[in-house]
Amino acid sequence: MKPTISILFLSLIVFALACSREDAEENLNIDNPEIQLAIPLDFPSLNEAVHRNPPTLYGVELGKKLFHEKKLSGNNTISCASCHQQANAFADSHPQAIGIYGRVGLRNTPPLQNLAFIKHYNWDGNKRELEKQPLVPIITHEEMNSSILEAIGKISKDQAYQILFRQAFGDSEITPDRIYKSIAQYEYTLLSINSKYDKIKRNEGLQFSVIEARGYQLFKSKCASCHSGELFTDQSFRNIGFPLNPSTEEAGRGRVTGIPADYMSFRVPSLRNIAYTAPYGSFGQFKTLQAVLDYMAEDVLEADNLDPILKANGNRIPMTAQEKSDIIAFLHTLSDESFITPQ
Amino acid sequence: MKNLTNILFASALAVALTSCEKSEPAANNVTLHFNNTFKDKTIVLGDANSTQATINTSANGQTHQFSELKYVISNIRLVKTDGQEVPYNINDLDKGATVIDHSKAATLDYVLSNIPTGDYKQLKFGLGIKQEINTLDEVRFPKFYATASANDTKMMWEWGTGYRFTKIEGFYGSDKKPLSIHTGSTLDGKREDPSTYIPGVNAYRDITLSLSETAVVGKGSPMITIKADFDKLLSGKTNTITLTSGRGPNDNATPNIHTADQMVKFVDNLGGNSKNDNSGMFSVVSVKN
Ligand code: HEC
Ligand code: HEC
Repeated sequence: MKPTISILFLSLIVFALACSREDAEENLNIDNPEIQLAIPLDFPSLNEAVHRNPPTLYGVELGKKLFHEKKLSGNNTISCASCHQQANAFADSHPQAIGIYGRVGLRNTPPLQNLAFIKHYNWDGNKRELEKQPLVPIITHEEMNSSILEAIGKISKDQAYQILFRQAFGDSEITPDRIYKSIAQYEYTLLSINSKYDKIKRNEGLQFSVIEARGYQLFKSKCASCHSGELFTDQSFRNIGFPLNPSTEEAGRGRVTGIPADYMSFRVPSLRNIAYTAPYGSFGQFKTLQAVLDYMAEDVLEADNLDPILKANGNRIPMTAQEKSDIIAFLHTLSDESFITPQ
Repeated sequence: MKNLTNILFASALAVALTSCEKSEPAANNVTLHFNNTFKDKTIVLGDANSTQATINTSANGQTHQFSELKYVISNIRLVKTDGQEVPYNINDLDKGATVIDHSKAATLDYVLSNIPTGDYKQLKFGLGIKQEINTLDEVRFPKFYATASANDTKMMWEWGTGYRFTKIEGFYGSDKKPLSIHTGSTLDGKREDPSTYIPGVNAYRDITLSLSETAVVGKGSPMITIKADFDKLLSGKTNTITLTSGRGPNDNATPNIHTADQMVKFVDNLGGNSKNDNSGMFSVVSVKN
């Protein structure tokens, strides 16, 4: 009996110690819980970088503030949100991005949505982790034209940031890494999963209209070999013969890999919220969805590395006028109004 | 008398000390002097209408001239006659890397300080920056970052978040079409683990040059003159290149960065193909001890 008592007693002490330690830590640390991402069924796996930088309550709050922070630009006029506007599913409505002093960039601003599931970022996939991406617009001449130390110098004077950095990372030190991490955390939470299409998939009582249903069937046969899965992209890089960017800076993925077969290939874009992100194409070649489909149905540009799916069809994706409007009706079911509405 | 001896002794000591202080570091400097040429002629830069600019002719008969010429040297190592390699701040871009800018005479001499006394037979350096530190890390290397990002330098490659390794602007052909050749790495991956470097190209080139004469460090301050022969740009050991303008996959004149496979041909000519050529356009023409 005696040993049992002492063991009990001992564990009581241990328990008490553990408790008091926990209390002490709680006083020192801010409660900054991880945010569970609501991952819908059938979505692809997360980019593994998400596991290394899981979004937390304050990390996301800080990231959101930084995302809207104009002081990240050289003359305090441009934030990430200037180009990535929520009303456009975090894209914009210009053919090519317009940054500081009205400078025009090389490419069209893509929407920011469901990025936690994407494996290569940008039109050419040159970045594989979201944490490595924010420095690019900050230093780019046509975008924000600043430097990370210049940006830190400006925001470190702001007490709101000192508090947020402490809440998110344990102390108020502002480092480039913490900026990149918190912005990425915020971006990981930009999930668009509440379109009509999603609700129908989840059997929430909605139904496709007759036209939408026809469009869905056509989409599955004509488009889904590339715009596949729940993100509506297989995340591969392909040349589908869209009109070429006149800038000699552009080579698509060939600029990155140096592989001739990647010349003018771009990541297959997600088609979620596509109705909100006009104009279309890597430099905004097309004003409307109709224009995109008209072009694809007609005759795309010939190239050695033109995608085999188009080559097999005589450099086109044949569609009648009715088929096009059916497909466009289906594409509108991918619009997620809650995603473009500020909470 | 005793006082005077003391004073004399003290002043002798002082003199000895100060002279030591002065001569020591100076004696252990090595200056790398870069002479940028077309074959044996030092390049004169100029715009399209310049009558002074040096005009070179490539193996394929294309005339060309430069208006701007810059490149990055880093990862410098000196090798002693006994084979011992002495690295010079190879992981510190602020202390061990420089931008050679042909339009700024001061940048053509790069002074290495506190080189250990000894006899040296070989010089190694990188054209460009090795992948592990090619990250535009402004916090770690503020000085180099400031130099590279300055408006009159522009040796930063924003979309690749790395540095430009060479930047050449100029003109070619009888109608003086613009040429614009920039090189840099397009790799991405965990910096510390090269097996993760995908999907791009590595434009860093490691250069090894035998010294034409032993450089004796300690007694004097040797100056090593390195010729960078930009004739090799188009007429190199690895590739004979014809410039063409346009935006096709094989057009390479303006700016060639648009396809990394065209860029690599210039990189291999300038810095060697890292197989059977590890000197590219560089050679040591003299060592002055
Ligand atoms: C001047 C407009 C502009 C600004 C400002 C801007 N971006 Fe972008 N963003 C773009 C463009 C254009 C692209 C496509 C770039 C490419 O493909 O080369 C892009 C791409 C991206 C991507 C990749 C998306 C994908 O689908 O792969 C992310 C993430 C992103 N931006 C986040 C940011 C953040 C964070 C900031 C602020 C630090 C920012 N952007 C500032 C225009 C802008
Ligand atoms: C062979 C693969 C492939 C097929 C099949 C395909 N696409 Fe695409 N799609 C792409 C690629 C790649 C791009 C980006 C091309 C570019 O910008 O140069 C793209 C771009 C688009 C865009 C512009 C997106 C944006 O954000 O700018 C729309 C809209 C689009 N596709 C719709 C469709 C529809 C509808 C179909 C079926 C009728 C279809 N695609 C079939 C590969 C494909």
